[in-house]
Amino acid sequence: MSSSAKKPTDRVSWVWHGVYALVILAIGASLYFASKRIDYSWHWERLPEYVISTEGEEIRASFDGFVEISEDGKTLTMTEMKGSGRETFSGFSQVLVGQGDLVFQNDVLARKPGIRPGPLLIGLWLTLKISAISLVFALPLGLIAGLGRVARNPAARNLATTYVEIIRGTPLLVQIFIFYFFIGTVLQLSAFTAGVAALSVFTGAYVAEIVRAGIEGVARGQMEAARSLGMSYPQSMRYVILPQALRKTLPPLTGQFINLIKDSSLVSVMALTDLTKAGREVVSSTFSPFEVWFSVAILYLLLTGSLSLLVRRLEKRLAHD
Amino acid sequence: MTDRNPKLLIEANGVSKQFANGTQALKNVSLTVERGEVLCIIGPSGSGKSTLLRTLNALEEISEGDIQVNGHSVHNRKVDLNRLRTQVGMVFQQFNLFPHMTALENVMLAPLKVLKQPEAEVRARAEQLLAKVGLADKAQSHPAQLSGGQQQRVAIARALAMKPSIMLFDEPTSALDPEMVGEVLEVMKALALEGMTMCVVTHEMGFARAVAHRVLFMDHGEIVYQDAPAAFFDAPRNERLKTFLGQILKN
Repeated sequence: MSSSAKKPTDRVSWVWHGVYALVILAIGASLYFASKRIDYSWHWERLPEYVISTEGEEIRASFDGFVEISEDGKTLTMTEMKGSGRETFSGFSQVLVGQGDLVFQNDVLARKPGIRPGPLLIGLWLTLKISAISLVFALPLGLIAGLGRVARNPAARNLATTYVEIIRGTPLLVQIFIFYFFIGTVLQLSAFTAGVAALSVFTGAYVAEIVRAGIEGVARGQMEAARSLGMSYPQSMRYVILPQALRKTLPPLTGQFINLIKDSSLVSVMALTDLTKAGREVVSSTFSPFEVWFSVAILYLLLTGSLSLLVRRLEKRLAHD
Repeated sequence: MTDRNPKLLIEANGVSKQFANGTQALKNVSLTVERGEVLCIIGPSGSGKSTLLRTLNALEEISEGDIQVNGHSVHNRKVDLNRLRTQVGMVFQQFNLFPHMTALENVMLAPLKVLKQPEAEVRARAEQLLAKVGLADKAQSHPAQLSGGQQQRVAIARALAMKPSIMLFDEPTSALDPEMVGEVLEVMKALALEGMTMCVVTHEMGFARAVAHRVLFMDHGEIVYQDAPAAFFDAPRNERLKTFLGQILKN
């Protein structure tokens, strides 16, 4: 009997869930009608091809030469124009050249069947890759700088503070330009390396502040107890303070990694085809900016959303320990 | 130090300490503790008794004076403070157990990492020590799962694991619920009976009277009076101490 009787708070909360749904619907509807008014023809059907391509892999000529197709149409042979090189292809589903055609290096000869990632997915992969690699470098960098921030040694403390202040006081876009044009040129870095370096150094400064807050959040008595047992400062940090501090920093670190994924969109200014740059390229070949940017946003959300879900699980497991 | 008395474990001479805000925490304090002696320090809050205790293992720096522990000058920059601290066990008011470790791991950490002793040996001794403080069955518990009294007993075992030659207790029962004070004092009493050298800052007058060899009264950063417990409590020959004891008895 009591199980069927609803508490009044349940009813109230359902009302507010309804309000939430209504507001979301209203925003969606107004977007829809607004787009109706501005004479824009939606072509969502063009989009999937750019996420997962069904066009298949392209077979390209590796030198200038003439095409020769076998009678059954299953093999294609290339003969080099100025030389004796020969090349034979098979296993394709569609031939894009004719018998005896003269083709040049890198021309598309045929297509193999199958699906492969489209430009948006390839861009997403680069975004994930550059963010993950940057995180791998940013964590130790931030840990060292964070330890420097709480160190008693003035050299360590001032160096760490200078680093954090400079990085937090300048826009990431400017830092990326400096890394790409100045440091990248001096050290001959590739665009990808420069991008990873810029993002690592940028994120490291924020990680340093997170680590510092975590260390300062550990009770003072912990360090005293460790030192009173004869442990050195590094030993106390390693075995007593950091294990407690790092557990507390997990939620803000996740937030920082999510920021990193979003900030990585700025590397698209240096000829790296990340998700954002891929979006721009797809816009220029489809002329469907609205659909593309909505899709790009959803792909970013997928990445960041699954990450925060993952960490929430991890936190729950740590809390049970 | 050729002229020092080998019986003296702690020898503090003319120790003064001024905090950064100008407060004079210790004024020209001199103190000796012999091997095997149990010394209780009492006094009103803010009298500098905890500060004095904390200068003995250099958790607090001093402005003037000299403190010798086992013949080593504690506040000399050249002394290996970490090694010296292994000989001075400390028990804190707030227990300060490491919350991310089990009771057993708390006890084992310093012998493993500082003394680099083999793990099997350290584990065996840690289990013995936990049994000694009556917590053999709590070895795998984390501090959050233990009562205050149990935590403080683990903290005592943790300090003993380093085989110190002296134990410092900084108000070890002040953060405890009244019903748990007894179990901690029992452990300390047993330790005193074994001949451990102890300095105990405390408000437990009953403990001081029963266990201490000497009781010391501090007020305003000075050692005002010291005597054997019977004389100290029953016939104090000092007005400030009389007033203090009178206030305590009233409560």
